[in-house]
Parts: sequence; structure tokens; C-alpha cells
Amino acid sequence: MQPHREDRAANIVLASLSAASIVLMFLPMARPIRALRACVAHVFEPMTFAGAEAMERLSLVPSRARQLIVADIENRALKEEMARVGLVKAELANLRAENSRLTAALGLGSPAGRTVLWGRVMERDPVTWYHGVMLDVGSREGVPINAAVLAHVDGKVVVLGRIAEVSEKTSKVLLVTDEFSSVAACLSSGTVEGLVQGQGSERLKMNYLHSEASVTPGDEVLTSATSATFPPGMLIGHVAKGFARDPFLTFQSAEVRPGFDPASVKEVMILR
Amino acid sequence: MSGLTYFRMAALFVLGALGHWWWTTYFSFWGVAPQLLLVLTFVVAARRGPVPAMSFGFAWGLVLDVYALHLMGAASLSLTLAGWLVGNVRRQVDVSSIAPQTVLVFVGTWAYFLFSGLLGLLFMRHFGWPGWDVFLLSPFYNCLLAPVLGWLWDVTVES
Repeated sequence: MQPHREDRAANIVLASLSAASIVLMFLPMARPIRALRACVAHVFEPMTFAGAEAMERLSLVPSRARQLIVADIENRALKEEMARVGLVKAELANLRAENSRLTAALGLGSPAGRTVLWGRVMERDPVTWYHGVMLDVGSREGVPINAAVLAHVDGKVVVLGRIAEVSEKTSKVLLVTDEFSSVAACLSSGTVEGLVQGQGSERLKMNYLHSEASVTPGDEVLTSATSATFPPGMLIGHVAKGFARDPFLTFQSAEVRPGFDPASVKEVMILR
Repeated sequence: MSGLTYFRMAALFVLGALGHWWWTTYFSFWGVAPQLLLVLTFVVAARRGPVPAMSFGFAWGLVLDVYALHLMGAASLSLTLAGWLVGNVRRQVDVSSIAPQTVLVFVGTWAYFLFSGLLGLLFMRHFGWPGWDVFLLSPFYNCLLAPVLGWLWDVTVES
């Protein structure tokens, strides 16, 4: 563009825009000018809104970045924790499998509808040798009162007693040999039922046997299906001898040798 | 306007208006912010001549007038005249180099304030005085900004 042509164009543009500006200043309230003003405002308002929003978001960047860093640190810690948990889970699975194998090998299936909790005998007082023992599991592990307690002796599961007291970490077992203990039982030789009662000694007494029933030493005494605490068919002991029949009584009794030795039981099964 | 396509012109207009709003709203210290659109008009005039500078100046002035809610047309006339003056001065002086540009921006800022005030006195019977702190500090602020905007122009538009 030649200089004089550029000058002329500049002068024309200057005159036009100056005139437009002066008109704007002279007639600020004229309808077209108000419309122009509204139009410009309408065009630029979204821009300022968007800008304000962008600034608000920008102002949040430091706090968001901090949250992101904290979350990243937590994420790393959790990943490490998850890796550890994975190892623990694998170990647990191995232990469960091992437990299942050992349970199957020992023939220790838990009775239907009940779960088994193992406990160790942690206290056994010779003064109360035939009365009770204390276990190292309590309410924290979910030991309920009156739960059946069994022992594993020579490959067989035998009745030991029932839970009489529960504290948070311990529980006490009332042995079947205690005077206050009684268990509904039957003889393995027939369907004759009776009640096995503790004597506070190394022997039990089975009462209320039918007077005509045949009681043979060596018979197994098993828990009865009518027992409220114990599952049926659990070994209580063996008949040691039958007592002489009393003609004035309508039942006969037998002496029972418990299936366990209170002095040697170390681990017990609690049925929940 | 070689190198200045319609898209670039529109982008320059929008970015300029947005930048002015952003700076005055969020980065004014002690009530002082640079006259970004005035300096941009100087930059356009120094590199492209009076016609583009007046066009941009008028459009940016309209935006300032709408935002400022005072005398409609005052800023557009001031920036139009600023673009015309600098566009004509560039024939005699290389106003895109640092020293003349600094002097021009310094004096031009005061002239802009005085002219806007006189327009207010003329049309509204009120001299639109910006305050001594703005009047004294803004020229320095604008002088610091002008080389940066010139460099940005050279990098983005002229490249």
C-alpha cells in the first residue's frame, strides 16, 4: 500500500471510528446504543463467567495437587498392605487345607449345623480334678454358655462336658464326672436309654436303665438323641459293671468308665 | 494485513479482552494494574500501522466501555486515537524497539488518562481522575509490559 493511500485509509478509519465514538458519547441513552451495549455485554459476559470459573479451578489446583500426592502415598501404602494380605491369604488357604486334611484323617467332622472351635486346657487343679478345667478361649472367640465340649482320645471323639462359665478370654468346662453333671445316654448294645451322672470321682453312674435291660461290661455308652446339649452317638465311656438290681426300684444302674482321663486332656473341641 | 488472518485477529481481540479482565480482576496490586489494551494497541500500531491499530483499539475500547459502565464511547475514542497517533509516529521513529517504545508508552499512558478525563468533563461534567497512585504508577507498569507483549507478538503473529 502506498504511503498516501495508507494515510487516506487511516484518516477515513479515524474519522469513522471517532464519529462512532462521539455518537456513542452524545447519545448514551439512545435505543440503538443501548442495544449495542447490551449486545457487547451479552457477547463478553460468558467469557468473564468462563474466566472466573477457570480462575476458581486454578485456585483449587494447589489443594487438589496436595490431595493427589497424599492419595498417591496412601495408594502406595495400601498396595504394599495388599501384597502382605495376599501372602497372609495364601498362608491361610494352606492352613485351611492342612486343617481339612488333618480333620479328615482324624475323623473329626463337625456335627451338622454346628461349627467347631478348638481350645487348650490351660488350668487343671488337682483338687477339682474331676469337676472342671479351664480353657484358653472365651467370649472373644465366640464360646457360648452350655456348649458341648468334646475331646479326642485314641482316635475317638469322647464327651468331656459342657461350658459352665465364660469370660472374655477363658471359659470353664463342667466335666461329666462332676456331681452336678448329667447326660442323656444310651447303650451301644441296644436302644436302652438312661442318664449318666457324675460322681465327683473317676467313675460315672448310669441310672434309670430299664430293669429288664441287659447291661454288659464293655458296652459303649453313647450320647442319646434326646440330649439337648450333645449330638447323638458321641462316646461317653464304657460300662465297667452293672450294679445289683434292687427289687424296690423300677430301674437298674451301671458304673461307667469315662472315655477320657481328666489328667491327660490337652485340647478340646467346643461345638457352637 | 499479511500474517494476520481473520482467525488470528479474532483470537487476538478475545485474548486481549480476556487478558485485560483477568489481570485487572486478579492481579492488581495496591489498586494498580496495567492498561493491557492500551499497550496492545500501541504494539499493534508499532508493527502493523494505524488502520489495524485503530480497528482493534475501537473494538477493545467498546469492551472497556461496557465493563466500566461510565461514558460509553470514551475508551473506544481514546484507543482509536492512540492507534492513529502511534501508527503515524512509526514512520519517523522505530517504535517497536525498546527505548522509543518505552517513552511512547510512558507518555501515551498519561495522555490516555488525561484525554479520558477531559472527555468525562466534556460529556458528563466530571473529570474522570483515576487517582494519583494509578496515574503515577501505571506508566511504569505499562512500560514493563510493553516489551513482553511486543515479544509475544513477534513470536506468535510475525513468526
